[in-house]
Amino acid sequence: MGKDGLEITLNIVKMLVIFLVMVQLVPVLVWLERRVSAFMQNRFGPNRVGPLGLIQLLADAVKFLFKEPFFPEKGMAVMYYGAPIMALIPGALALAAIPLGTPFHLEEADWNLFGFIPLGHHPAYDFILQGYDFGVGIVIVLGVSSLGAYSLLMAGWGSSNKYSLLGALRASAQMVSYELALGLSLVGILMVFNTFSFYDIVAQQNPANPLTFNFLGTVHTMPWWIPNWGIFYNPLGALIFFCASFAETNRLPFDLPEAEGELVAGFHTEYGGFALLMFYIGEYGHMMVASALMATFYFGGYTIPYVSNEAVATFVSNTHHFLGAFDLSIHSNWAAFVTSLCFFVSMLVKILFFLLIFIWVRWTLPRFRYDQLMDLGWKTMLPWALFNTCLTAVWLAISHKPV
Amino acid sequence: MLSSQDFLFYFLGALSLIFGLGVVLYRNPIYSALCLVITMISVAGIFATLDAWFIAGVQLIVYAGAVTVLFVMVLMLFDLKHEMKTFSKGVIGNGVKLASSGVLLGMFSTYIWATYATEPTFKPMAAGATSSIKATKDLATSLFTSYLFAFEVIGLLLLVIAVGAVTLSRITGGTHHHAD
Amino acid sequence: MPINPAAWKVGLDHYLYLSSLLFVFGMLGVLMRRNVIVILMCIELMLNAVNISFIAFSRYAENVNGQVMVFFVMTIAAAEAAVGLALAVTVFKKFREVNIRFFEHLKG
Repeated sequence: MGKDGLEITLNIVKMLVIFLVMVQLVPVLVWLERRVSAFMQNRFGPNRVGPLGLIQLLADAVKFLFKEPFFPEKGMAVMYYGAPIMALIPGALALAAIPLGTPFHLEEADWNLFGFIPLGHHPAYDFILQGYDFGVGIVIVLGVSSLGAYSLLMAGWGSSNKYSLLGALRASAQMVSYELALGLSLVGILMVFNTFSFYDIVAQQNPANPLTFNFLGTVHTMPWWIPNWGIFYNPLGALIFFCASFAETNRLPFDLPEAEGELVAGFHTEYGGFALLMFYIGEYGHMMVASALMATFYFGGYTIPYVSNEAVATFVSNTHHFLGAFDLSIHSNWAAFVTSLCFFVSMLVKILFFLLIFIWVRWTLPRFRYDQLMDLGWKTMLPWALFNTCLTAVWLAISHKPV
Repeated sequence: MLSSQDFLFYFLGALSLIFGLGVVLYRNPIYSALCLVITMISVAGIFATLDAWFIAGVQLIVYAGAVTVLFVMVLMLFDLKHEMKTFSKGVIGNGVKLASSGVLLGMFSTYIWATYATEPTFKPMAAGATSSIKATKDLATSLFTSYLFAFEVIGLLLLVIAVGAVTLSRITGGTHHHAD
Repeated sequence: MPINPAAWKVGLDHYLYLSSLLFVFGMLGVLMRRNVIVILMCIELMLNAVNISFIAFSRYAENVNGQVMVFFVMTIAAAEAAVGLALAVTVFKKFREVNIRFFEHLKG
């Protein structure tokens, strides 16, 4: 197949894989949430089923699958069944745009399975660990995650239940309000890094360069133990982005629309079984996207702190006996792949760290009342985000960072 | 055979036309609003095929992510229960409207065919122009230098609209007014 | 319907046909629908059609002014949608009706 065909096929396969990764990471997250919340509340979590309670989630998933699917009496089928599907799409699309590892270059070679079964010949190809790579990654991710409000609205209306509708309207109003603070806090990062594409942002946080500040011409280099991360360029923006992403994912302390005991269960009152599971997958997918964005913008992305990218590449390509069989100093394609894998693992560690913080905050802070929530979004976060934009602009003008 | 760019245009164009027709024809206004969302998303895709990536993203954020959410929220709050006639009454009126729209479409098509049928192909983009930050920088420079007055007036307009919308929502009186 | 594949290659005129067709659909909606909110939505559809033609011309002439114009049109359309909906909500609170034919016979 030609180069175009190969690229389209690979992209489709990559997007499927990313979607499956998002779905498969959800049971791990739910297990983590139940155990971590249990330890915070001074009790054990589920620890009977399987080692450390890991099979509990499999049992829960099977239970969900076999629940009775019901349909409210006057509900609208298109909306009722379309809402859970709509909940999955923005998370998967946004996760596909974020680079999860460094791209690796495959030389033109023959594919050989186990070294002697020929599979075909492929041309030289740059494999990126993103589903798609437009130049304007940030704007597309913001746009796609703002489509998440529709799943809430469709769920609320299609349930033909006044409490669902009220919960859905509150949730979507909250999401739209906090999108503003989210977008504005990202403007600060755009100004500092001067690019829209995620790959360039991560490349500018390369650990090979130390953290330097230009102040009126003199260059101050920070000590080596402070990594070259975006959070040191824009700390207020990082704080606002983090808080706004809690509100975007409907996560405590901003989860009034889906809280138990407040509005029955909010917009997913009338859902049970598999459809409810899809809503949870969508919510955790949104959390994963928020964590990945936080890691990419403010914490160096897929780079490993204190170790430059080239050092990792040389370390890997000098490895002999990888898995007892491959000599990575000879197979350059496999060396590139393993290098990329190291960065992917580093990115996963960072994403898991932020997910842990999401779970930690959930069981630490009390819930906001709805008017307090809207006040916070419009009267506190939006002005601070604007102030952050002005502050970053002034600081950039003073420091003469080269554009 | 169609190149992928052309196929994308035809697919997205067909999608936007079909769902645009859905906006006009559905009886239930919430289905109309959802068709409008899909139309907006496909229009964003059409912008992307024209290499206007930033405008496509802004279309997704502003139109598909905020304006139509507002429409859907207002429609859900209205909760119209009684049966409402969808289209205007009167065959002659409707006939005149359809005929005049057809005439307008004919005029548009004739003009386009007469002017652009001979040399309509797009020149390929210059090599360095795929860096979208440069295109956005051109846009921003143009906004702040050539169109500065219009930009400031739009800012003022947005302020006036925000104040006006909040004021409108505070109007009391009418059939459901509680005197307290 | 042209059979030769050269006519299927997308040029400026294809985008303009699409834009004019979408505009006429929106216009039909404004003329023939009775619900105020749906009329506002069809106005948004017309503005989107115009945006497509602006961007197509901007790409054809390699000029950034078309995109600036689209920027302004989007801003104004969003603002107008907000005010139109606020007005519709106010009117609905007063009269409990969004049928536009109801308002033809109001006096005063």
